[in-house]
Amino acid sequence: MGGYGDVQMIDENGLRMDGRKPGDVRPITIETGVVPVADGSCRMVWGTNEAIVAVYGPMEAHPRKIQKQDRAVIDVAYNMAPFSTTDRIRPGFNRRSREISKVTQDALESVVLLELYPRSKIRVSIEIISAEAGTRCVGLTAASVALADAGIPMTDLVVSVASGKVNDVVVCDLNKEEDNYGEADLPMGILPNTGELVFLQMDGDLSPEEFKQAWDYNVEAALQVHKLMVEALKGGAKQ
Amino acid sequence: MSAPTVPNLLRDHLSDLAMNDARLDGRGQYEGREINLETGILPRAEGSARVTMGNTIVLAGVKFQLMTPYPDRPNQGGLMCSCEVRPIAGRHWEAGPPSPESIELGRVVDRGIRESGCIDVDDLCIIPGEKAWQVILDLHAISDDGNLFDAFALAGIAALRSAIIPAEKFEVGEDSPLKVSKKPIMCSYHKVGGRFVYDASYKEELGGDERIHITLGDDDHVHSLQKGLKGIFTADEFASIMEHAKKRCAELRELMD
Repeated sequence: MGGYGDVQMIDENGLRMDGRKPGDVRPITIETGVVPVADGSCRMVWGTNEAIVAVYGPMEAHPRKIQKQDRAVIDVAYNMAPFSTTDRIRPGFNRRSREISKVTQDALESVVLLELYPRSKIRVSIEIISAEAGTRCVGLTAASVALADAGIPMTDLVVSVASGKVNDVVVCDLNKEEDNYGEADLPMGILPNTGELVFLQMDGDLSPEEFKQAWDYNVEAALQVHKLMVEALKGGAKQ
Repeated sequence: MSAPTVPNLLRDHLSDLAMNDARLDGRGQYEGREINLETGILPRAEGSARVTMGNTIVLAGVKFQLMTPYPDRPNQGGLMCSCEVRPIAGRHWEAGPPSPESIELGRVVDRGIRESGCIDVDDLCIIPGEKAWQVILDLHAISDDGNLFDAFALAGIAALRSAIIPAEKFEVGEDSPLKVSKKPIMCSYHKVGGRFVYDASYKEELGGDERIHITLGDDDHVHSLQKGLKGIFTADEFASIMEHAKKRCAELRELMD
């Protein structure tokens, strides 16, 4: 949330720098089965974001102290590849990645039927290959597709979208400039079949009206993205 | 990497196959898997490549940074090669600090590229003693079905060859392609069922013994060698894989053009 309106990102016709209307989502492509050695996988290109997610398991949970006697644990590792951003990221421990891994894990544990696999572990590896803005959303959404591709029972897919505010206009699915110079960011993880939420973060400044608009944009966008996810899963179904 | 248990059944099976000059997936002793090489696939990297060898998939990305030359080499830039095999690549790879296996991988690939002299570090100097380019090659495994070494080496040199120096972004002149004068290629051989095979799959690596990596440059000059894992080999065995490596490296060099 850098500048405050010092960069003009909405033109006189109400269009954004990349030509989108405020409620539009960037172009998305989804592919499954992209990591041949994994039990399930997904590649998601969202704008110029690209995430590859692999799912392994359910498998033995070790070290043993992480085991839960009555259910499975999900082990999420979110990581940005060193070449995924304009300035290279040094590999290794990073507080941001740890936090995103944790909230993604919390979101996925809310939909996976964990009690079916006591004492086991499901490993979800999210690699951001190219980052634009909203990589946590792409990672979480792609992870739910990869889990479905692995045949892991879930109550619903998770669709994650972020809306925010630039130049006092509420916009859906922030791109890089909007994320850098915008005034707010509201990422949500939505269950498209029930409208329930499993993931929510926010930073910046939104009035109650703006907040409502951002929320509605996210819900609307989630339904659109959900269609693409279902298509990808049906098309990519393993024989 | 946690040490996976190697079923004796697998070892016996591989020995039986070797006796009949056969391999698990029906390939010949020195037959490689189909290779697919694409460059310019990563929008945020200055150079990039994706290599697919059967079910093994790797990415390579090149980034540039400005550095102060080392005091004893004021006219030189730097080349750094870093390799990460994260848990995405297979169930046998685990999170945490780099394992000895992935460090060996990065270093062997690095030596092949560095020692071939394909990148002239003197050429990377901008202002002697003050400013020079550091070229960083990051190797990232997506799917490990064996022989990450060769896949990384091929992706690495292909990514370097596609790289553009982002001088405009750093305000030190005009963008220009990175000069890469040679094409070092690595060929890896694993002892499986008592004989060396080329381009081993993960199962062959699992049930095999020692491995040998050979990097050859243009004109078949040898640039790096590495023997890994427990095992003994003879001079004759080495001579015959070297013979094959020469032929194979020439083929792969053509693939890159």
